[in-house]
Amino acid sequence: MEGLFFNIDNGFIEGVVRGYRNGLLTSNQYINLTQCDTLEDLKLQLSSTDYGNFLSSVSTEALTTSIIQETASEKLYEEFNFIRNQSSGNTKLFLDYITYGYMIDNVALMITGTIHERDKAEILQRCHPLGWFDTLPTLTVATDLESLYETVLVDTPLAPYFRDCFDKADELDDLNIEIIRNKLYKAYLQDFHQFVTDVIDEPAKEIMQGLLGFEGDRRSINIALNSLQSNDIDANLKRELLPDLGKLYPVATEQLSHATDFEGVRMALANVPEYRGMLESGNLEDHFYKLEMELCKDAFTQQFAISTVWAWMKSKEQEVRNITWIAECIAQNQRERINNYISVY
Amino acid sequence: MSGTREQVFPTRMTLGVMKTKLKGANQGYSLLKRKSEALTKRFRDITKRIDDAKQKMGRVMQTAAFSLAEVSYATGENIGYQVQESVLNARFKVRARQENVSGVYLPQFESFVDPEINDFKLTGLGRGGQQVQRAKEIYSKAVETLVELASLQTAFIILDEVIKVTNRRVNAIEHVIIPRTENTIAYINSELDELDREEFYRLKKVQEKKQKETARLDEEMKIKRLAEEEKAKNENLNEEGNEQEVKNESSPERETSALVEEHEEDVIF
Repeated sequence: MEGLFFNIDNGFIEGVVRGYRNGLLTSNQYINLTQCDTLEDLKLQLSSTDYGNFLSSVSTEALTTSIIQETASEKLYEEFNFIRNQSSGNTKLFLDYITYGYMIDNVALMITGTIHERDKAEILQRCHPLGWFDTLPTLTVATDLESLYETVLVDTPLAPYFRDCFDKADELDDLNIEIIRNKLYKAYLQDFHQFVTDVIDEPAKEIMQGLLGFEGDRRSINIALNSLQSNDIDANLKRELLPDLGKLYPVATEQLSHATDFEGVRMALANVPEYRGMLESGNLEDHFYKLEMELCKDAFTQQFAISTVWAWMKSKEQEVRNITWIAECIAQNQRERINNYISVY
Repeated sequence: MSGTREQVFPTRMTLGVMKTKLKGANQGYSLLKRKSEALTKRFRDITKRIDDAKQKMGRVMQTAAFSLAEVSYATGENIGYQVQESVLNARFKVRARQENVSGVYLPQFESFVDPEINDFKLTGLGRGGQQVQRAKEIYSKAVETLVELASLQTAFIILDEVIKVTNRRVNAIEHVIIPRTENTIAYINSELDELDREEFYRLKKVQEKKQKETARLDEEMKIKRLAEEEKAKNENLNEEGNEQEVKNESSPERETSALVEEHEEDVIF
């Protein structure tokens, strides 16, 4: 019964997203891309894919990896905004939730820029288009967290997430910003998870919980590892940064927050089958991307689920990263690493 | 070259001065030559090291650029901006000191990392922090190579200049100063010889004159004596005792002739 009324609101969206999913590059196309000798060849190869002639207005001399990345990302944003505009009700809320993550990044970026008295226009340029909100440019007035919250953020969807950040960070500095960003992200993930649990129907609920849990785990492991060299973060603070989500929660999360060396992190991860052995070999980030892509691929196997939008988003982002990576390898002539991309479709 | 010489009076004193100068020039020449050789050796060494450093830099820079690509793959676009903004103090610093190579001061740059300063250790906390740290390390190495190269390049330029100057000096001494001094010495010697020859000739002439005079006096004396003998003969007929006196008068005349003889030998010597 659960899928019975799905198509009334979401049928079109799901159709579009599945169409987009079929446009994702396949492993054969990736192999073709890696054979390219120059960026011009790459452009030619990409023109036969779903990207079409997205680089046609760029001349050969101006063709750089960053331009390829930018243009490919723009295509993703366009497609996402199209879907967002077609949605209504809870689905729209769900799509909005996806953008909150980018909003957090933008807020952190704006605050960083403000502290160092950068030009507003310069920072706004760098903000993520999906995380844009109307009051974003006015963030520059804030000098401490209270005023930041009271003047600007109270009207944004991020307001509830700031609740946990008020205990001590009165003055904004670089350490605080990084901590605030991670606290916000934690609150966001948990709120998103709650929203999915309460509002979204099965089977999307289950899939989204899995995906968000993975997202939380990824952040936990990364924070645990990256904070090892830094003495500014003690176990309690670290615990506050780790999301209460995913397969690591609660036992391994607790262990992670108390881990003081690499061995401790590995011990904590050894209890979770999914992440066991992740630190043994290769690049951690690659492992995560690989795992994420597997999860996203699996997400498409369920019919009547708006979680496909999230899965498609993430797949597409990975695809842009892959293309950028391949382009970078071609541009820098580092052929031996070119096969480091992640392709699951 | 052989025509040039210094404008000096050809005296024995100048000759002495010139001889000292030549000696000094020779010594200076050998010293400068040795300096130039030492510098050239150093210069070659530095050239070789620059070559190595440049090739190393090519490799290191490539890895560095690639590690940046890895960072952007792992973290997304804005990481560069975050890093830029969170850096307050320089972690990697350069110290300069001087090294003395054959009297030339070459600046040497030494790089060192201040482990106290670690400004962006939290960047990428949630994602890609390891890549950021790795890129940081690789870039530190790249900058280290750059500093090394900078120090070598500066030494290269300074040494090049100094070697040029030294070589110019060596050549000037070898091809200008030494030949000129030698020419001057030769000139002074020839002038002095000329003077000697003139003197010799003059003395010869004097002696000749003196001999002529002596001969003339001898002749006169002879005539006189003859005349006197004639007279004495005539007088002997008158008086026997006058003969003794004539003999006494002729003896000082003989002594002068011996004196001239001695003098002549001296001149020939």
